[in-house]
Parts: sequence; structure tokens; C-alpha cells
Amino acid sequence: MNTMADRVSGLFFMALGLAMYFWINPNYIETVDGGNISPATLPNIISIILAIAGAFIAIKPTDHQLRNPILMAKTGLYVALLTAGIWAMSWFGFEYVAPVLALAIMWLIGERRPLWLGLGVVAMPAIIWFLVTQLLGRALP
Amino acid sequence: MVEFSTILAGFGDAFSLYNLAFVLFGVVLGQFVGAVPGIGPIMAMAIAIPFTFGLDPLPAIAFLVGVNKGGLVGGAVPAVLMNTPGTPDAAATALDGYPLAKQGKPLKATKMALFSSITGDTFSDIVLITVSAPLAVLALKMGPIEVVALMIFAFSILAGLIGNSLTKGIIAAAFGLLAASVGQDPENFTPRLIFGYWDLFDGLALPSVAIGMLAISEILHRLSEAHGNMRPTIIAKDTGNPDDRRVTWAEYWSCRFTMLRGATIGTILGALPGIGSTAAAFMSYAMTKASSKDPGSFGKGNIQGIAASESANSAVVGANLIPLLTLGIPGSVGAALIISAFMIHGMQPGPLLFENQGRLVYGLFGAMIMANFVNLWVGQLGLRLWVKVVSAPESIIFSSALLLCFVGVSMATSGLFGVAIMLIFAVIGYLMASFGYSLVIFIIAFFLGPRFEKSIAQSLALTNGDLTQVLKSPVALALLILSVVSVVWFLRKNVQGEDE
Amino acid sequence: MKLTTKLMALATSAVMALAAPAFAEDWAPDGPLTIQIGFGAGGSTDTMGRVLAEVMKKNTGWNIVVENKPGGGGVAMFTGLSQRPVDNKTIGMGVSIPVLVQLVQRGDQLPFDTDSFDYLGTVAKAELALVASKDAPFDDLEGMIAYAKEQGSLPVATMAPPQVLMMNQTKSTTGADFNLVTADGGAEVMKLILGGQVMAGFGSGEHYPYLDSGDMKVIAGANQSRLSYAPDVKTFIESGVNAYVDPIFFLAMRAGTDPAAITAISAAIDEATKAPEFAKIVQNAVKGDPINMGTDGTKKMMVDGLANAKILFAK
Repeated sequence: MNTMADRVSGLFFMALGLAMYFWINPNYIETVDGGNISPATLPNIISIILAIAGAFIAIKPTDHQLRNPILMAKTGLYVALLTAGIWAMSWFGFEYVAPVLALAIMWLIGERRPLWLGLGVVAMPAIIWFLVTQLLGRALP
Repeated sequence: MVEFSTILAGFGDAFSLYNLAFVLFGVVLGQFVGAVPGIGPIMAMAIAIPFTFGLDPLPAIAFLVGVNKGGLVGGAVPAVLMNTPGTPDAAATALDGYPLAKQGKPLKATKMALFSSITGDTFSDIVLITVSAPLAVLALKMGPIEVVALMIFAFSILAGLIGNSLTKGIIAAAFGLLAASVGQDPENFTPRLIFGYWDLFDGLALPSVAIGMLAISEILHRLSEAHGNMRPTIIAKDTGNPDDRRVTWAEYWSCRFTMLRGATIGTILGALPGIGSTAAAFMSYAMTKASSKDPGSFGKGNIQGIAASESANSAVVGANLIPLLTLGIPGSVGAALIISAFMIHGMQPGPLLFENQGRLVYGLFGAMIMANFVNLWVGQLGLRLWVKVVSAPESIIFSSALLLCFVGVSMATSGLFGVAIMLIFAVIGYLMASFGYSLVIFIIAFFLGPRFEKSIAQSLALTNGDLTQVLKSPVALALLILSVVSVVWFLRKNVQGEDE
Repeated sequence: MKLTTKLMALATSAVMALAAPAFAEDWAPDGPLTIQIGFGAGGSTDTMGRVLAEVMKKNTGWNIVVENKPGGGGVAMFTGLSQRPVDNKTIGMGVSIPVLVQLVQRGDQLPFDTDSFDYLGTVAKAELALVASKDAPFDDLEGMIAYAKEQGSLPVATMAPPQVLMMNQTKSTTGADFNLVTADGGAEVMKLILGGQVMAGFGSGEHYPYLDSGDMKVIAGANQSRLSYAPDVKTFIESGVNAYVDPIFFLAMRAGTDPAAITAISAAIDEATKAPEFAKIVQNAVKGDPINMGTDGTKKMMVDGLANAKILFAK
């Protein structure tokens, strides 16, 4: 029985709960005079529950199995791609980044057929651009 | 009381070819836009409102009713066909809808969603048209103390959705509540846990969190699986059995109690502002699963699961109009949009609406009835189209869905900041799913969290911090006892399920 | 026949965005103007902003895009506006009081102040009223205070920090005790009053239907001057509590915007605020007429408002 996954996630949530309670909540929640429930009350209670439940999972783990690590690594690749996409959009705008991003995603999946690539890289961004900016009069990101 | 002649005149106004055209146009738009990943039914409404500026009140309202109801049907499409719900209330539909679609029966799954959605919607419309006034008075009696009790009851129903580990369910709920506490605190309005980002002042935007967690995290997972495999996103198998492509009457009829229960839950929660369709869908789902003779078949493509979720979340939307029309109180974001559209067209929801504008109100009711029929008809055609579209290769479907989610979330929130939050929650969602934590429980806790804290603060203010006052409210007391009973019951069911 | 005309109208309104007609003006934006509304879709600011944009679009022929940037009662939007480069085409629309309150209470955390913007004008003033159920055993603020003292305490629903501060001011001036219940917007305040959970609460328009139906009555005006629709009701100030709020809907651009743009846009806003269709929406939303204080008047309103807010809201 492999219990690594639960031990790791349990410890993470325990650490998160403790960090929230002892460090983040006191520093990033204001205190107020009066009132019936202070801004920190609920976050503090939840942080404690999170820490206790996390510790419990770390001590008494189930045999939950993690997803295939190779798949997770591939997902990381796509996350990095999307992050770069958002960052690039903040500089150049959706119109220029969207086709490149679509091409990168489709290419990574392994799409090489010109028809589908054309649809995804040229037609889709163009349709979105037309619908949003021209028909709806809204701004693209 | 509204005179009968006014009622007749109102319905008479509504049932014209002219208004039918607007209802049809609205339903088509709603079903289409509501189904686009990342856009969803609420955005469909927001998009539609400006188009009504130049219209007369009744066609404008008929059009918006069409969009609203069409959006309900459309919202279930990405959940069922791609397992990427655009709104949290459709997440319950995905639980059984997607497995059924994956078995090669996407049309059956979406049609079941369509039929139960319209059934639930029609049920709550009938309630709205016939007994909205007394129901609204009852809703008023639900003060903060009763609302807290109701929320605790809603949370207790969640126990039915917790899988094999109670502790992991608690962690998912606590984490959701923690995410919900970002933004101004409900009593003193201080900026809480915003780390200097004022965009977070009103909290993490629901579209960012919900679409990130439910849709993008699933797309991320599927991208990693698709890597190197060129295949259609969904395969409609031709088994030669026409029953795999449709819902038979026997199947529909077998879900009648499920849909009735779902519609009732949805109508009750919809009449009470602030609880919302997500809680209704999951409460109905959990109750249906728990009372089923074969709970093990849920999550594997049981049409009862689809019926439970869709009948409940659609009933909420009709029932939201009960407090909206009679009291002027919107019960949800969608209802708030409807109020603003009504006001633009000179309709003032509130106690005098039926007296002053009775004819228009009954015109609205007439449009709603028409919209239900149109929805059914357009849905039959539209669903075929969507199944065709989603049969395209994964490469184009996923890349397009990602772009649409970027645009949709950016329009629904404050631009790229909201998109960045969406991606962060997609990663959190992906990791939580990988480590076996329920995303659905996280989302419900996140959704109910702010309302829950606010109601607690209100109750404390009303009672001067004296919680024994709860004992004076029979409704609250009953709900709290029910909560304890349901937690015990669900947990025993879970234990039994493991023993089998 | 009529249907086709309507559909045509719908189609043209969609197509209008396509063509950016050249309109003979001294100044025209290079690209679409964007009005960023500091509140979510569906509220009174949103409704007025969208109709204002629609009327401006019709009058000037400019392409105007309306975006919602909710967060912190407009603070998120104005933060963003103050941080973006001057582009002569991005306008912010918000309400004065929430911004002023945040500037007073945590100005050190905010990247802007009242000088960060060039002001274009105002569109309306919100009238804030303290209302109570028709069965409440008091008819004015003095009566309510006396009743609160008699009962020990009285539940009152509020929906924003300024109202909490006004009630706290009332507490400290008179010695009466109030249980302040914070509600999620004016509609919920109405629900709490109608449901009998609280005795009184603040409304910024949500109470109008209930005044007409006779279910509620106005106890006090919370603005500096009396309410336009209830001129007999005394204000908080007249009742001996020295506090008021005047929430004003205004528009502004990033400081340093081209003066020609300011002139042209503020003129377009002024023209739009005079249009009857806009007046109708304002009437629906705040029960008053459109008010435009002009560029200088708006700036003065914000600067004076900040000084006032410092007295009322300083911690």
C-alpha cells in the first residue's frame, strides 16, 4: 500500500493551515473595534480545521494513488505555455497572442493536419475577435 | 388582486408571432452562447441586455426570457459532452452526464439534461405564476438565523458527496471556505487577505474560480492524455440501437420522482435569495443518490443523476423570479441582471408591480410559457449540432475552448487579472484532483462561504451574540435537527457502501 | 412589417459598432472609447453608465465600449485607471463616497489620490434614506432614538461602511444603542425590514416601491440636504447628529489626459445628461434629475468631499 500521496498532501494542508493561522492571517487581516464577528474569526477557525485535518491525513493516510507522473509533467508543460500566453497577452493583446498560443497547443498535442490547424489557429481567433469586438462591442483581453 | 381581464390581456399580448420571434431568437442565442465553454448562461444574459435597449418592453423581456431559459439548456452541454462545466451548477450534471456521453451516448445524455431541465423549469414557472405572492411572504420570514440553519443543512447534504475519506472532504470544504474569505469581510468591509491586489477586494471572482477549477483543470488533464493521440473529443457510437441516441418515454417516466424532488428543492431554494442553483443541484443529486436502490451506479452514467441535477438547477432560475417580481430582491447574479433589464424598460419590480403593470407581468409569464416550448424544440436540433461540433479532434476543441475561456472570464471579471486567477485555480484544481480531493465540495463551500459568514454576522448582531435565540425559531431548529440526521444518515450510507 | 423594422433596428445596432463613422468634431478618439464602470453588471451605476454610453454614442458617433470592473466600490477600477498609461480614451465611472472612504481609511495602501485624475463631470446624486416599516412605533430619527433607549437597543440594517459610521456617530451623540446588521445591498435591507428582522435600515432607491405601496416610511434623510421626494422629513444633521453622505456618480480619466479630449468628452457627457432618455433612467435609478457639476465642479466635489470624509470617517 503506497501512502505517499496522502502523506504529502496532508502535510501540505497542515502547513498551509498553520501558516495561515500564525503568519498570514495576523499580517493580512485588519483588526477592528467592536462588531459581532471580527474579520479574522472565520479564517482562523478554518485554518485550524485545515491544519488538524491535514495532520490527520498525514498520520492516517488512505492508499490514494497519484495520477501518472509522466502525465503530470506534461500538464506542467501546458500550464507553462498558458502562463506565457497570459503574460504575452498583457503586453501584445489577445489578437496577436491567441493564434500563436493556439498553434503552440495544437502542435504540442501533435496536430499536423493543415485543415484543422488552419481552423484552430486562424479561423477560431478570427471568429472570437469578430464576435467580441465587432458584434458585442466589448474589449478583448 | 389582478383582474382576470388583465391576465387575459397580458397573455394575449405575449402570444403573438412577433413576440414568438423574439423568444425564438433569444432561445437560440441563449442555447448557443450558454453552451460555449467559458462564456455560459450568465454571460449570455449580460451580452443580450444591450441589444434590447431599442425595443418595446414586452418583446425586450420576451427576448431576455428566451436567452435566460436557452442559457439553462446550453449550460449543461459542455458539462455533459466535455466534462468542463462552465458554471458550478452544471458540475452536478457532469457527474453522470459525462460518463454516459463517454459510453458513446452523448445524445442520450444531453437530451436527458434537456428534458429534465425543461421539466424543472416548467414546474417552477407554474409555481411562480400561481402562488408567487404567498411564497414570497414565506421567504421573507426566513431571517438570518433561519438562513444560517439552512446553509448548515446544505453543508450537511454535502456529506452525501464525500467519497471514501471524510477527512479529505473536510479539507476540501475548509480550503473552499478559506478561498471564500479573500476579499472584504462581511461585517466591517475591511480588505482581507488581498495582499495589495484591489481587484480582489470583492473576493476571488466566481467565474475565475469555477471555470479554472472545473473546466480548465479538466482540459489540462485531458491535454496531457491527448498528447500525441489524434482523436475526436467525443465519439457517438452507432450501436444500431436507436434508444442509445434518445430518451425513451419509459426512461423519462422512471425519473419522475427524481425530477419532482429536484424541482421542489430548486423552487424552494430559488425563492430564498442567496443560496443559489449550485447548492440546489448538488442537494438534489446527493438525495437522489442516497435514496437510490443502486447508489453504486451513480457517477457512471445513471440518467437519474442527470435528471436530479438539471431539474433542480433549472427550477431555481424560474423560482428566482418569485422574490424578484414580488419584492424586487434578486436571488442571484442572473436575477440581478434581469432586474436591471426590467428597470431599463420601465418595469419596477416590487409590491406594486402586479397592480401597476399587471398586463406586462402576465405578458412576461406568457413569454415564459412560450419559451419553454421553443426551448424544447430548439434544444432537440441544437444538441445534435453540438454533438457534431464536439466530435471534432481534441486538438482544436481544447485549444478553442481555452481561448474562449480566456475571453469569457476576462469579460466576466476585470480583464487579464481574472484570467490569471483562473489559471491559478486551474492548477490548484488539477493538483487537488490528482491528490484525491473533491473539487465539487471545494466549489460549493467557496460559493456558500461569503453568504454563510454574512448570515452568521447578521444573526449575532440580531441576537446580541446570544445563540440560544436559535431555539426560539422553530424553522431554524428543525433545519438543524435535519442537518444532524442527514449527516449521520449519509455517513452510515457511505460506510455501508464500502462494506459491500 | 413591424417585425422586420424591429429586427432591422436590432441588426443596425449591432452593425453600428462595425462602422466608426467619421463625425465632424474638433477632437475624436482614435479607436473606441472605453467607459469602465466600478461596479458589477446590474446595479444603478451600471445601468446609468450603459445608457449614458448609448446616448453619447448616438450623439457623437464615437464607438463606446462599456466594461464592468467591480471591486471595493470602485476602488479596484480607479486603482487600475490610475496605473495605466494616458491613452485619451479610457474613462472611469464610479461613486464618490466609497472611493473617499477608502482614501481616508487606508489612503497609504492606495496608489492614487484625488489628484490622480482629470474629472469629466457628474451624472447624478444618490439620495440615501433611513426607512422603517410602516408599523414602526416612531416616525422620525428623534423618535427612533427615544425608542431605542426605551428598548435597550434597536436592530438597524446597513449596507456600506459610511452608514455604519453614521449610526456609530448617532450612538455616540445620543447614547442610544443600535444593533447594526450588515446586509448585502439595499435589496436585502428591504427584505430584513419587510421580514420584521430589523426595525429600520438604509435604502438608496430600493425602498421607493414600498413608499408608494405604503409598506414603509422615511425616518430620516442621510444626505446633506433633505430628500427630494420627502421634503418634510428631517436629515440626520437636523435631528442633531452631525453626519451626512452625498454619494455622487462621476466620471474621470487619468490625470495628464489631452485637454482637447477632456473638453470633447466632457461636452459629450454634458450633452448626454440633458437627453430625455437618460433623464428617465436616472429617474428610475435614483428618483432625481441628472446633475452635471462640470469638470471643475466635479473636482471641487471630490476635494471638498475628501476633507468632509476625513472628519466623519477617520479612524
